[in-house]
Amino acid sequence: MTKRRTWLVMVRALAIASVALIASTQSVGADISPKVVFENSKTAPRSVESLTERSIVRDYKFAWANLALALESNSTDPLNGLFVGNASGVLADQVTNQKRSGLTSRYLNQSHKVDAVFYSVEGDVMELHDTAEYDLQVLDGSKTIYQEHVVARYIVLMTPAADRWAIRQLESVDRF
Amino acid sequence: MWWSINTVWERPNVNKALVAAALGAFCMMPLSSRAQELRAPAGAIAGSEVAIGTSGNGNGTFYLIGPGTALKREVQFGQEVKLPPRDVRHAGVYRAVACTDECRSVTFHVSAAKPASLSFLVHPSRAPVALGDVISGVALPFDEFSNLVVSPTKVSFQLNAKDKTIMSQSATTQSGVAWFRAASGRSAEAVQVVAQVDDVSARRVVQQVASDPCSLRIKGQRTAKGITVETEPVRDCTGNPVPDGTIVTFTAKHGKDISTVDAPIKQGIARAQMIAPGPVVVSAASGVVMGNELRLGAQP
Repeated sequence: MTKRRTWLVMVRALAIASVALIASTQSVGADISPKVVFENSKTAPRSVESLTERSIVRDYKFAWANLALALESNSTDPLNGLFVGNASGVLADQVTNQKRSGLTSRYLNQSHKVDAVFYSVEGDVMELHDTAEYDLQVLDGSKTIYQEHVVARYIVLMTPAADRWAIRQLESVDRF
Repeated sequence: MWWSINTVWERPNVNKALVAAALGAFCMMPLSSRAQELRAPAGAIAGSEVAIGTSGNGNGTFYLIGPGTALKREVQFGQEVKLPPRDVRHAGVYRAVACTDECRSVTFHVSAAKPASLSFLVHPSRAPVALGDVISGVALPFDEFSNLVVSPTKVSFQLNAKDKTIMSQSATTQSGVAWFRAASGRSAEAVQVVAQVDDVSARRVVQQVASDPCSLRIKGQRTAKGITVETEPVRDCTGNPVPDGTIVTFTAKHGKDISTVDAPIKQGIARAQMIAPGPVVVSAASGVVMGNELRLGAQP
């Protein structure tokens, strides 16, 4: 009888642990891989070549995934090489200040609708208008102080680097 | 509660008693549990002090999360939260959050300040003269905190030669970008390309160089060793001497034999010596331009 009771307690404990594990996996492992839809029908004065388009989409998606990682882990390492100039400085400041204040930010379920609006004649700078949607969580330690589904608009300047396109300016605006 | 709504009260002063009880209950509530609200600042400018209004009583924690910013501090509700310029120096969307037992938030936008510098990209560094749309430039105005100024801003572009203005035009920025394309001038010289917004300007230099030769004329004579041919001073179609080092190809045909010599232009003239004992026809070419044919008789 005692053995049967012990067995039942073990089964219950295992069931509770499994549910807890699944729940934690779903919250921590929420989709952090950004979706990017690229549109270039209104780009001027130069049209975007298909190879360039592929590079932009790849590098922009990678940059946002790493931005999310940097702000969640409070580390500037993921930003290296993907953000340059002012964009790099602003994000580094944010990481430093988050660390100092004990805050972390999570950008979950990202989707980006990106319009290339300007591509210079010589191909040395491209401006994107990104209408981004994501679930933003801000945590103070383990306490969530802000949680919202955000629709944000960004003006982005990207410039070609040695083997990729880097984000030089990332500025959120209230409207385009 | 359901009974307070549905019960028929017999005594007329019961309502007064209920109101008094409700007020009393409100006053007994802990101060921190009263709802605090935040008021977003309007028209905030980067690098200027911003004040966020709060309502309610008691203390709480205030957070500001925005571009380059993540701060946390204790605040007294009912008073304004003043944010110093350094905390709002980056343009973009900020979120102010105030927490007691629960958190309230407000979102506000900070715009870039007035232009303080221009990022000005000009291509190419060397441009052939008298060529349409060969020079292009992009200007992006930034404020003193390196924020892109996205509000429409008029930018003046000028191409200035030593003694005259080759081109002058203006463009209004769209989402922070203004650009131009222009033809080069007719003289081989350095020109200054200027972009200007109010009292902020940026200058770049483009070296205008002679275009391809416009025509080639050659002359030649027999010597003891063969023939010597040379061009007259080689110029482009606007009269500029073609740069030294430009290659001129001389071709000599004597019977079925053809010999060629590439000679660089030096001080405007290309020269070559060729071995040709019999009568020859010599021609010259540079780029897509062909010169005249020169016939020389056999060696005496």
